[in-house]
Order: sequence, then structure tokens, then C-alpha cells
Amino acid sequence: MSALLFELKGKPDQRLDLSPLVPSKLKDLKAKEVEALVVGTTRDKLTVGDCFKVKGKDAESIGFAGTDGRCDKIGAGLKQGEIVVEGDAGAYLGAGMKGGKIEVKGNAGVLAGASMAGGAIAISGDTGERAGGILVGETLGMRGGLLTIGGNAGPLLGERMRRGLVIVNGDAGDYLGGRMIAGTILVRHRVGRFAGYGLRRGSLILLEEPKELLPTFGDCGVMDFTYLRLLEHWLRETGRAISLGCRARRLMGDQAALGKGEMLIIA
Amino acid sequence: MANLSVKGVTIVETFAEAFPMVGTRIIITAPTLEWALISARTMTGFATSVIACGAEAGIERTLSTDETLDGRPGVAVLLFTMDANKLQTQLRNRVGQCVLTSPGSACFAGLTGEKSLKLGSSLRFFGDGWQVSKRVGGRRFWRIPVMDGEFVCEEKTGLTKKAVGGGNLLVLGKSHAAVLAACERAVRAIDEVPEVITPFPGGIVRSGSKVGSKYKGQIASTNDAYCPTLKAAVKTELPLDVEAVMEIVIDGLTKESVAAAMRAGLHAIAEGGAEAGITHITAGNYGGNLGPHHFHLKDLV
Repeated sequence: MSALLFELKGKPDQRLDLSPLVPSKLKDLKAKEVEALVVGTTRDKLTVGDCFKVKGKDAESIGFAGTDGRCDKIGAGLKQGEIVVEGDAGAYLGAGMKGGKIEVKGNAGVLAGASMAGGAIAISGDTGERAGGILVGETLGMRGGLLTIGGNAGPLLGERMRRGLVIVNGDAGDYLGGRMIAGTILVRHRVGRFAGYGLRRGSLILLEEPKELLPTFGDCGVMDFTYLRLLEHWLRETGRAISLGCRARRLMGDQAALGKGEMLIIA
Repeated sequence: MANLSVKGVTIVETFAEAFPMVGTRIIITAPTLEWALISARTMTGFATSVIACGAEAGIERTLSTDETLDGRPGVAVLLFTMDANKLQTQLRNRVGQCVLTSPGSACFAGLTGEKSLKLGSSLRFFGDGWQVSKRVGGRRFWRIPVMDGEFVCEEKTGLTKKAVGGGNLLVLGKSHAAVLAACERAVRAIDEVPEVITPFPGGIVRSGSKVGSKYKGQIASTNDAYCPTLKAAVKTELPLDVEAVMEIVIDGLTKESVAAAMRAGLHAIAEGGAEAGITHITAGNYGGNLGPHHFHLKDLV
């Protein structure tokens, strides 16, 4: 069976809410029913059929093509299956997802992977603010799973994150891991100001030394970490060759919060 | 009894009687293979027999840097007891006292069993609140701060209830040196078999025991039927020209692996033939009523 493909026909004059287009909600619907699903967000009613050319059948494997930054909530609440986005994604990409896989070939908007609990999101481009962060009304940010950002991440990446792994291949914005409870964020290039603001537990693994460090982080010096070897080994086994080595400078903080978190700056 | 013979060595038509055990495997890594071995040898020291050591343990094999989770040299250790609670206690004590304490060590699960045993999840308390839990690829690890950095220990390891203990071979020969040399060959051959260990010193036991004793409270005593100095006094199993008997005891994660180890051992013992001074290969049993696993030597030839 070929993947169920949604190709955006033009540029809709309103933002779209694509949260109904996930495998669990589509699997029992006929083609007509799928086209009748409402995806508009204003009083002007807009359906899937109005915006997308729909092809294919397999609701476990969903594709989007031609999407832009106004296509919100792609894969939000995803439980299983796979979504591939050939284009950009709007806000709330994979927000609150529990399982499955999302791949975005372009950029994603704000709150990508926010409060996600499981599964994997891979974004080739950049993300807006609060990726892996916290949704309005939630008490926790990302609670599990893997979020990979190929480009740069906006501010407040992993805000109030509890568990899981975020990998940024480019730069991260200000307040990286802000108010983070636990979990791991790995940034390969520059990070903005106030990294680890309010960090309780959790690890910020940085390949480049931040320009500015919060004064509430205490230096433990440089030493070897078997944990970094373990992480590097797993990254390599899963096809993400990131050289970490084993030596890092450990900064503990945020001493203004619980203070059991760490910044491991690869030495 | 029509005994078989391999290169002139008589294979007595009998069987080794073995018992069900619970077993686990852990992987110990260290900055060098030498230090991984030191840690593993310490952990598996004083673990020859469950009778007084609480557990039977040994080194299964060494692991190269591309076989371990942290890319450092490692050692696979097997640990066996008679029930899961005892195994848990032994594992915690032995890893806690011998691996946690060993410079640069880390400890990982070596088995994904139907059930699991606590590993880092009990040792983490050594961290006194400074321990850190990390999930990598769906597995949970504890980072426990210690004086040389961090002790990384996986949360759990697997447990198997299909383990078998007490597979054995008894080697009879015309000189002590001949029997020792044959048993050394057998232990080397068994080292190559996966999933098994030979828990006794160098893999060899010279003091095989029988059940019971003339003394009250002594649950096992010397196997007088195989003591060469008592040939004239007891109902001996030894021909007059046999000068020494040694035993190889094998524990394994499955009965198949124990059988494979016994087969490898048997052929290694018989390798030199009767000319090398080995007369008989036999096995120990209790009449077949105590242990459910019977390894007949004729099936291993």
C-alpha cells in the first residue's frame, strides 16, 4: 500500500490545524471522509479537500508535500506510524506525541515536540522557540523520546523538560534548557545567553564553550566521563556520528534552583 | 556395562547429574582489559560452590572494545545461585564490593532475561543523593560519583531460571601430573564454549565430595570411593594403578551449553590418549534421583 499523501494545493488564507491527520484518526476513514475533515482555524470553514490533493491509502505512513510555516499541529498527539513532511511545518509539530516517527525536510515553527512523551522527531532545518518545551496548560515539557534538529534551535529549547534527548546540530538560542527538570540536550555549535537558567537536574552537553555563562553555575573542572562514551557509542550505532570523546568540563547548576543539573562542555 | 573408549581412554557408561540454577551475566568494563579482569576476578573470587560461598561465578570471556557499550575493553561474568533472591543478594554484594570499588570500572547488563535483577538501582544509593539517572537508547544507567570520577552502572540485568549447575567430568589417571595436564587442557577447551564457566580454582576440583558424613552437622565429606589412598579400605571406584582423580565442574546458562562444554572437555582430556597417562573419564551422580539434568557421557563422545 502506498503512503497517504497530502499535497498542499495553494496557500490557504488562514493557518491550518492538521492534528486530525494522524494514523489513529485516519485509519478507519474512507477517502471522502478524509477530505471532509475540517482543518481550518477561522470561521471560514476549510476542509482537507479544499486545501490538499490526497493520494495513496496507507494511513500508517502519512506524507505531506508543499506545506509551509502556517501548517500547524502536524503529528500532534501521534501514537504510532510515520509522518514525512516534504516542506516546512508550522507550530506544535508533534506536540504531545507519544510514539511513532516524524521527519520534516524543512523548518518547523514554535513548540515543535513540546510536551512530547515518546517517539522521534527529526527536523532537517531550524525550529522556532520552545522546541521540546512546555505546552500551555501542561506542567512538564518534553517527557521522553528523541528530538533531532538539523539546523538551529530557537530560544527556550527544552523548557521544563523532564526526560528524553534533544540533539541540535546547529546553534541553540537563549535560555537553553530553561527550568529543565531532567533529560539531556546536546548542542553541537553555539548556544545563546542564560543557558541552563533554572536547571534542576539534567544534562546540557555542549560541544562549544558558551560565550556567556550564568554566575549560578559552579565549575567542577575537566575529567573523563564514561557516560559520554556510552552516549557517543549509542549515537554512532543509530547512525548519528557525533564525536564526543570522554573528556568534558563539568559545571553544576543552576545553584539558584535545585542545582543538581550539569553542563558538560566537551574538552 | 559396555564402556566406550576414545584413544584408549575408557569412557565409563554413566552420567553427570546436574541441577537447575538461576543465573545472570554482567559486563564489566575498565580503562584497560587488565583492570576489567582484576575487577572480574575479584568479583568471582570465593565463588566456587553454593555450599559455602553463596554463589558460583566465573569469567565467561573477554570482550573487545567494539563489543562493549562504552567502547572500552570488558569482561563477561556469569553468576549462579539456587534461587533468585540469593542471586540478587550476591549480585548486589559482589558488584558493590568488587566492581564499584575497582578503578575506572563500569558495569552493564549482559542478559535480557524473562525477569530482571537490580543492579544500579540498588547501588545508586551509594551516591548519597548525587547519583544521576540517564537513559540512553531505552536503557537506564546510573552515574554514581566516586573518587576517580563516576561509576556508571546499568539499572538492571537479566535473570534466567533455565541455568544448569553441576555438569561434571571426573578424570582418572596414572599420575598426578598427567591428570592435572589433561584437566588444564579441558578447562582451556571449555573456555571457548559460550555461556559456561568452571567455577573452581583454575576450573579444577581435587576434593570431590559425597553427600553426608560420619560426623553430625557435616553435610558433605570426601568422596572416599575416588580417594586413591583409601583403595584398600573402602568400596573403591578406582583401579589399583590410578594415582589421582580430578573433577571439572561446569555451570551454564542453558543445558545445551553445559552439554557442549562437557563434550569439549571430554575430547580435550582424551586428546593425549592412554599414552598420556589418562585411564578413565567418568562423571558424578547421585543415582539420578536428585537432579533433573542427566548428561550421559556416551552421548558426548
